[in-house]
Amino acid sequence: MVQWPRRAILGGGLALPALARARATGVQAAWPSQPIKLIVPFAPGGTTDLIARLVATPLQEKLGQPIVVENRPGAGASVGSLLVAQAVPDGHTLLLSNIASHAISPALYGNLRYDPVRDFSHIALLTLNPSVFVAYPRAGIANLDDMARLHRERGLDMASSGSGSSNHLLIVRMGSILGREFNHIPFRGAGPAMTAVIGGQVPLMSDSLPSAASHIRQGSVKAIAMSSAERHPSFPDVPTFREQGHDVVTSSWFGLSGPAQLPRPIVDRLSREVSAILDTHSTRSRLAEIGGSAGQYSPEEYAAFVASEVALWGPLVRETGAKPD
Amino acid sequence: MKLNVNGKDMASGLILMAIALAGLYLNLDHSLGTARRMGPGYMPAMVFWIQAGLGALVVFFSLMNGPDPLERWTGLDIGTFLGGIVAGLAAFWIAPSIWGFFGQTYNAVGVGLAVGFFVMAISAGWKMLAIICASVSLFGLLFEHAGFFIGLATLIIVSCFAEPTHTKKGIVGVTAFLLALSWWVFIYELDIRVNLWPQF
Amino acid sequence: MDLLISNLGHGFGVALSFQNLAFALLGALIGTAIGVLPGIGPVATISLLLPITFGLPATTAIIMLAGIYYGAQYGGSTTAILLNLPGEVSSVVTTLEGYKMARNGRAGAALATAALGSFFAGTVATILVAASGPVLTQVALSFGPADYFSLMLLGLIIACVLAQGSIVKAIGMVVLGVALGLVGTDVQTGQQRFTFGIPELSDGLGFVPIAMGMFGIAEIVLNLERPESRSILSTKVGQLWLTKEEFKRSTPAVLRGTLVGSFLGLLPGGGASLAAFGSYMMERKMSKGRAMFGNGAIEGVAGPEAANNAAAQTSFIPLLTLGIPSNAVMALMVGALIIQGIQPGPRMVEAQPDLFWGLIASMWIGNVMLLVINLPMIGMWVKLLSVPYRFLYPSILVFCCIGVYSLNNNAFDVYMTVLFTVFGYICSKLKMEPAPLLIGFVLGPMMEEHLRRAMLLSRGDWSVFVQRPISATMLGIALIALLLMAMPNIRKGKEKAMAE
Repeated sequence: MVQWPRRAILGGGLALPALARARATGVQAAWPSQPIKLIVPFAPGGTTDLIARLVATPLQEKLGQPIVVENRPGAGASVGSLLVAQAVPDGHTLLLSNIASHAISPALYGNLRYDPVRDFSHIALLTLNPSVFVAYPRAGIANLDDMARLHRERGLDMASSGSGSSNHLLIVRMGSILGREFNHIPFRGAGPAMTAVIGGQVPLMSDSLPSAASHIRQGSVKAIAMSSAERHPSFPDVPTFREQGHDVVTSSWFGLSGPAQLPRPIVDRLSREVSAILDTHSTRSRLAEIGGSAGQYSPEEYAAFVASEVALWGPLVRETGAKPD
Repeated sequence: MKLNVNGKDMASGLILMAIALAGLYLNLDHSLGTARRMGPGYMPAMVFWIQAGLGALVVFFSLMNGPDPLERWTGLDIGTFLGGIVAGLAAFWIAPSIWGFFGQTYNAVGVGLAVGFFVMAISAGWKMLAIICASVSLFGLLFEHAGFFIGLATLIIVSCFAEPTHTKKGIVGVTAFLLALSWWVFIYELDIRVNLWPQF
Repeated sequence: MDLLISNLGHGFGVALSFQNLAFALLGALIGTAIGVLPGIGPVATISLLLPITFGLPATTAIIMLAGIYYGAQYGGSTTAILLNLPGEVSSVVTTLEGYKMARNGRAGAALATAALGSFFAGTVATILVAASGPVLTQVALSFGPADYFSLMLLGLIIACVLAQGSIVKAIGMVVLGVALGLVGTDVQTGQQRFTFGIPELSDGLGFVPIAMGMFGIAEIVLNLERPESRSILSTKVGQLWLTKEEFKRSTPAVLRGTLVGSFLGLLPGGGASLAAFGSYMMERKMSKGRAMFGNGAIEGVAGPEAANNAAAQTSFIPLLTLGIPSNAVMALMVGALIIQGIQPGPRMVEAQPDLFWGLIASMWIGNVMLLVINLPMIGMWVKLLSVPYRFLYPSILVFCCIGVYSLNNNAFDVYMTVLFTVFGYICSKLKMEPAPLLIGFVLGPMMEEHLRRAMLLSRGDWSVFVQRPISATMLGIALIALLLMAMPNIRKGKEKAMAE
């Protein structure tokens, strides 16, 4: 028997049901006392969004309060991140922190108004995954050699989910390896960019594996290279960059963070629940299906990881001369 | 050709031009980029130049497609208009130093708007606009801190002064009815998260 | 064809289960209610209700969420017609003729037309989704950035027809709207533009504060200033149902609106909101009642309402066939599906036939329910207008203010509403139309995005806009529309029509 949401049925006659009843009385009740906003700093339909929704579902069951996923895209994920950095640290506003918002954008945008380490309470690493170059099936690009040849001949356009994403940096890096810059076309999130590649408006795209996975399987785009060290178990047919003679190994990562000064009990509780969720078979298999692997870091480990990524990507961004465009 | 001035159109054109020029001035901070790689200032520059041009065209046509004069301002209208701006700005600057509460978030803006509109409400020409705007500004100021009921009651009672046919009984009735209705819709059913009563 | 019928039959088998019917009804009811309340839109509601759908089977969950979505489209037109309050972009158009009709004592007819037109359009669009979804997706995919830009430019030109007075002034208002849309963070470089360092503006100005201020509250002030004109509002309720003549006039408008809406709904982004404007312009140019436009022409309600509902249905096509959401509500649907372990995409039709065909069948059932819910309620809504205005306007203020405040739980939005009330008041005194401004405001940011992308792809060559056939066609239509409007004899005709 299906579990019917009782309140929805009861409220149905009044047509305005079911928006959780805990009343704001002014006295701070035990956390979480109201729905939790999970800010996703990218557009819906992309990897970040996917992972947020994947984790939000089991998490809200464990916490007993709905988690509302809110997409705040823009400017290399810095718009949504700033929002969380400035939020009240009461555990009701959280961020899906990621490589773009917390490692690349700080180096890429000189004028960022948050510090990726100091302005956040980092809670848990959720998942790591490789990037993949995909091509419009009728563009005549089957592998990196095809791409390099065509690119040297006439210069190719390459789409990404936005300036400052790790996928954008991969484009810049590949350009500097090939000795000619790609014409980078930033979109507002991976969904719209993928549409343009499927429709043949742009021949190439650098995307994170999770958001590209279903389109690769369906054959609506052709995967030409994966940025993992080894071939990916879920995509044994897709060769790596290394196999094709380019020493490029990158992974993008996604985690859970809140504003700085988040009370320790809240951080611990979240870290515990998330770790339990990542340990379940269903989450693992869902993550594997879309090409990610679960990460298991304590809050301290995750904070240290973010700091090390900031230190890693800063020089890389300056070296490649990547600019927001 | 005989000039047949359309005052409304001329004022519209001038407003369009003024906003466009202000925009162009602010846009000096943004880099234009090239047509291929447009900077943050490219689109604004295009838009504001087009707007300035259209404003100029509207002014040009206004010289012959009238007459449609502006409504006349009485001396009191002008006085309260200027007085309202001065009083509003003064309140905006002074309020935070009178009470710390006014310095929080956008409360000073609310105080400034409310004071300014109340001054404007003195003249009959502005009365409706000023009272309605003042009531909404007070709502903004009070809703969060003084709570749902006081915020809404202020909005309803103040806005009722814009309508001369209101009786005391009517105001009390409509206030009570709307408080009950909005409590039912927004607190009981939708459960929006606001304080019901003042928070100290 | 046989296959289609058997598929639809299968779909109805799924959708007509008691549970699915109950949730379709529930969704439609919630949608109607939130559509009526200004400031509370389907996006916020669906994201709040998303959690309660987890316990439901995927098909039931999507059926309910879809019900909310098109229920909100219906509900939004109710306040637009009765109170001049557009809660959403598409109902801005409905205010133009719908509110005038209400003032003429034809509120009942306007509401009935909106309900019937939407129902018809919903039916046609449902069949379209079922029959040719995948084919239509290919059409949508062939739109490149340059094509989108030109389509939106056409949309802006169309928006000028919404205005009553001089065309130059209307274009000026559109451009001013585009300028207001520039406020906020530049998406590509992250630079703050025209925000004066105010963090609330880094996301841009809000649609709701502008719409509530310039339409809703400014209209209250104007009504208070002209006691004689609002007495019409409360005394002349008039006949509730459509007259035979009104019915005859709105039928072709509904047909045309359905056509326009079905097509534009396919396009991601501005498609659904463009549909209503496009239909309004067509009616204004083509319908028999065009002389009455601006004074409560029923075609101006029937066409756009049909277009808007058809677009709401066909916007499911890219989601169901490509897995790509075309607007914020559709993105939430993707979220709901993913949570259920279903990846929307081309294979969904084969992998999840229950879901696919059940949803399509339930779209139609949902439309029937909306008709059943809304037609009897027209009488009640119209009675609302017989409430003396001195009691009505504080109520409108209360609902506007709470709606605006609860957008972000921030008084800042309330103060912005005050500023736009003043601006809306000035505009109406100077006969500057607010509708074109709002449309520029909505389309402007998307236009900039597509313009910049198109120029990146063309490597700085402007000729791309005339070289691509779709783009060139759009620009051609825009030019013709502009010329038609600017031609003096047409303008004379317009003035004559206004004098009547």
